[in-house]
Amino acid sequence: MSQKGSDKFKYGLLKAIDVSGFKVFDPVVRLIFAEEPRKQIQDIAKYMLLPIIFCLVCFFMWDIIGPRHKTKSGEVPSPGKVLEAAKDATRFKQREGEKEAAFVAEGKDREALLADSKKKLTEFEEKTAELQELSAAAAKSGQNKIDASLNPIKEKYDTLKAKYKTAQTERKEAISTLADQFANKQASKDELIAAMEEDSLQKESEKEELKVLSQQLDDIRANPPKEIKEAQLAANKAADEVQHYKKVIDILTTGNREVKKNALLEKAEKAEAALTVATTGAEAQKQAKAVVSNKDKAGKADEQKFPKAATIYWQTYRSLATVFVGFLIAVLVAVPVGIMCGLNRIVMACLTPIISIFRPVSPVVWLLIFQIIVGAFFPDPDKHWLFQTMNESKLLPGFIHNLQVNPAMIFSACTVAMCALWPALVNTALGVSSIDKDHLNVAKVLRLGFWSRLFKIIIPASLPLVFAGLRISLGVGWMVLIAAEALSSSDGLGKYVWDEYQNGSSQSFANIILACFVVGIIGFFLDRIMIMLQKLVSFDDGSATA
Amino acid sequence: MSFLEIKQANVGFGPVSNRTEVLSDINLKVEENEFVAVIGFSGAGKSTLMNLLAGLQRPDQGSVTVKGQLVKEPGPHLGLMFQNYSLLPWLSVFENIELAVKTVFPKLSKSERRENIMHYIDMVKLTPAAEKKPHELSGGMRQRASLARTLSLQPEVLLLDEPLSALDALTRSELQDQILNIWEKDKRTVVMITNDVDEAVLMADRIIPLTIGPQATLAEEFRVNMERPRDRHTLNDHPEFMRLKAEITSFMMGLNKESKANANSSSTSMPDIKPKDFSLPSARLDFRNRKAKPSGSRSVA
Repeated sequence: MSQKGSDKFKYGLLKAIDVSGFKVFDPVVRLIFAEEPRKQIQDIAKYMLLPIIFCLVCFFMWDIIGPRHKTKSGEVPSPGKVLEAAKDATRFKQREGEKEAAFVAEGKDREALLADSKKKLTEFEEKTAELQELSAAAAKSGQNKIDASLNPIKEKYDTLKAKYKTAQTERKEAISTLADQFANKQASKDELIAAMEEDSLQKESEKEELKVLSQQLDDIRANPPKEIKEAQLAANKAADEVQHYKKVIDILTTGNREVKKNALLEKAEKAEAALTVATTGAEAQKQAKAVVSNKDKAGKADEQKFPKAATIYWQTYRSLATVFVGFLIAVLVAVPVGIMCGLNRIVMACLTPIISIFRPVSPVVWLLIFQIIVGAFFPDPDKHWLFQTMNESKLLPGFIHNLQVNPAMIFSACTVAMCALWPALVNTALGVSSIDKDHLNVAKVLRLGFWSRLFKIIIPASLPLVFAGLRISLGVGWMVLIAAEALSSSDGLGKYVWDEYQNGSSQSFANIILACFVVGIIGFFLDRIMIMLQKLVSFDDGSATA
Repeated sequence: MSFLEIKQANVGFGPVSNRTEVLSDINLKVEENEFVAVIGFSGAGKSTLMNLLAGLQRPDQGSVTVKGQLVKEPGPHLGLMFQNYSLLPWLSVFENIELAVKTVFPKLSKSERRENIMHYIDMVKLTPAAEKKPHELSGGMRQRASLARTLSLQPEVLLLDEPLSALDALTRSELQDQILNIWEKDKRTVVMITNDVDEAVLMADRIIPLTIGPQATLAEEFRVNMERPRDRHTLNDHPEFMRLKAEITSFMMGLNKESKANANSSSTSMPDIKPKDFSLPSARLDFRNRKAKPSGSRSVA
């Protein structure tokens, strides 16, 4: 009985793996249940280990080749640097969170946070001092190393320079005597010209030689030994933390919402006290006004939010929301229109020219068109009801306010919708028009009405193809989104990449590659989710899946 | 007036200039609770004839009537059982039948409906597989589910379009028995299309051959005057069965020859051999004693 139970569990697990599209792990599960271990181990070696090894080889090559390629924004970052960038991004997010917490903390929480932050500050100050010392020591010992490699070349450079200088003056003198001789008709014109040419050639070659040496010197200076760099980096990081906690303490003591509010209320109280003892009408009016305005300000301070900086996490969240909205619009348009196309050949004939012409249009063009057309609906976005509701309405949960919906996001979502529309539409039309004739005959025999025919027969029968189309649509949408965000500077991964590119530092290069991985991994998971849905709706045991 | 009647029906396909008449001058009368088999070669237009009866196709000329009413469109009273099951693959057996029952008898209460559905599933002996999806079933089980769905419509006429031609011989004979059993318990008018002479003789009251198309038409009928219930095991010894089978087979072969001769004047002459049963009567007896179910119709080829 237990054997049977475990078998049931095993096959359930295998099916779940299959549906979720991770069939690679099939032999692992079978191995765990001790089913033909030899075969499973072979399968694991073939279909899991080899691919892993291949990926590792690729990373290894990247690690070797990347840093050798020098670009305007420094060398191509190695995998390690990208990982470092990911860690930095996470730390950045944490810091923003800490700052926000400091901003909103109230009463005892604030005091506790303050004490904690002060403790951390001293901790990091000590650490920074230590690290800076280490860094200085490393710089010193490194300097010796640099000097050791620098000095011989420098010496060579100096001696050569001196030598060439004397040679040059010598040649100059020789030419001037030759010129005098020419004036006295003791030398020919050709001799003088030849000497002049010889001189300029010499000069050129000497300059070249010196340039090579100075380049070598520059290279050595520009690339200090690794340990100096690392020590400096560690010290800088600690110093960053110090800066951060100073900022947190600053927020806790002065910038904090409650602190500000209390200060304003105090002012109001003072004004009220002054009002009670006011003797002149003008004075009374002034104090009364102060009471009202300070109370008003205090009330507003309560609602204030901390202006968080954009982290890659938030950008990813916003990108996902944008692609979701765009995809949803695409589905809501494409599926009904696709069904109509599939059901009625006249509708299909009417729409075919439109589909054929607009499908190949580039997302960039759509974005610009939407910026003009949809932009006309929000001449003054700050006061438009849509953005006011999305960003301020109390009815909506915080995670929607967090999106900070703006026109650029709407344009990006519309562009995604426009580009994701076509595959879904075409596939839905195909799915509906290629329904088995027998199924339609069943509907006829049962005399189903239009709606039950639609919902009981047509839609279920075409679902596998519809979902195949939706899967393509989501993939297209995600790809288009990144480009649209970069171009419309709507906050999201696309804008992140674009900003980092504009930044142009070596660190930002690593951030771009980090974003590349984030985009890829999210795209992969979106696709997997769609495959899963597609498998769940396909009724003939997965034959409809690609 | 007959229960089911086709009068001088013609069906054709293609443009007027190049029209192919599939069926021409079809006349058929079926009495109430009669079991009629239409037998014909593949491609003769059998399925077109069935579509005509089911109302899926209107005749170009002539008429199809049931109980005197003109058949204009398909409906649940014309219970068509499709050749390739036509179960909806995204629904389980139960849900497939439920869809039919819900649509045709919308007034039933939930429990009544459930009882009704289970009754038909039980009738075709599919109770253990009620919750299974069609792709999890064998061909025979699918056809049984399809039969249950058709029966659940409680049709006035049961139209069976080559219901068993996609099944293997053993499953086939089992299903033949089941259909006959159900029909005998719950009599109704049946028109079955088949290409199997044994099947037709075993099951039908009348057998009507369909000549080879184009312009196929119904030929002279053969009446099966055998008492029911018919036992397939003793049938091979039944003189009437042997006679009918031989007659129909030779008639059909004749049709085939004729059409071949029409299509192509150089016909191949066949050797003059008559099929014969070589097995010993005692051996056949043994079979029965072992309670095996030989597909009797096949043992005499």
